[in-house]
Amino acid sequence: MRTLYRCLLWLHPPAFRREFAGEMLWIYDESGESGPLLLDGLVSLARQWVLRSGWWKTAAAVALAMVQVGSLAFSHHRFVRVPADPAPIDVAEVLNRGPLAHQPLTMGILLYLAVFVVGGLVLLTIGLTYWMKNLAPRRMR
Amino acid sequence: MTEDFSPFLPLSPAALHILLSLAGEDRHGYGIMQEIARQSEGQYKLGPGTLYDNLQKLETQGLVEESPRPPAHDDPRRRYYRLTSFGRRVLSAEVSRLEAVVREAKVHLRTPRRAT
Repeated sequence: MRTLYRCLLWLHPPAFRREFAGEMLWIYDESGESGPLLLDGLVSLARQWVLRSGWWKTAAAVALAMVQVGSLAFSHHRFVRVPADPAPIDVAEVLNRGPLAHQPLTMGILLYLAVFVVGGLVLLTIGLTYWMKNLAPRRMR
Repeated sequence: MTEDFSPFLPLSPAALHILLSLAGEDRHGYGIMQEIARQSEGQYKLGPGTLYDNLQKLETQGLVEESPRPPAHDDPRRRYYRLTSFGRRVLSAEVSRLEAVVREAKVHLRTPRRAT
């Protein structure tokens, strides 16, 4: 159990681990309550990575990017009609011009691409403005 | 000139208990946990994860600081914390705020409720 608790402490963000892991392990040794302390260690691990380390911003950015790519793929699948009997792909031509060369880049695709990129930029700007106005001063304090 | 403590108030329950436990004397982490359990008669128990997360925040805000280790203690992992004078003033402001809340609650609870 002690080894498991040490592993939990080791998984904490480096700054927190350097500062407090030794004391937390000492408390574990002193108190002798392994169950509640393991649970507390797990909660602390999640809190330090998700709330305190700023990793949630990276996760949010990745999620937003995935939503954009997913929406683009969905709209492409939904609105671009593929003929029932598509012409056979000329392998030599694909090798020469790239794998997407046989798919014509229609105005519709370009329009959706533009909408999603602009939408993403607007969301990013709103998020950054909110962070600068509210969260950054509080963190500085 | 009066100080403005509004950015720090109200204190979270954990922060309030930590500051209260340090109001009497300097303590190490485990001592803070034990004192909080004693003050709340075992009703409020703080784990080390929550304790050090809050201590880190309170240190950043300047309410708590690390105090020099007593020479008698040989365990290098044991660190002591103390309330800063600013932390003591914030704690006093929070206690005054809580007193006002209790006063208000008593007035409202004493007044018989009117039937609607």
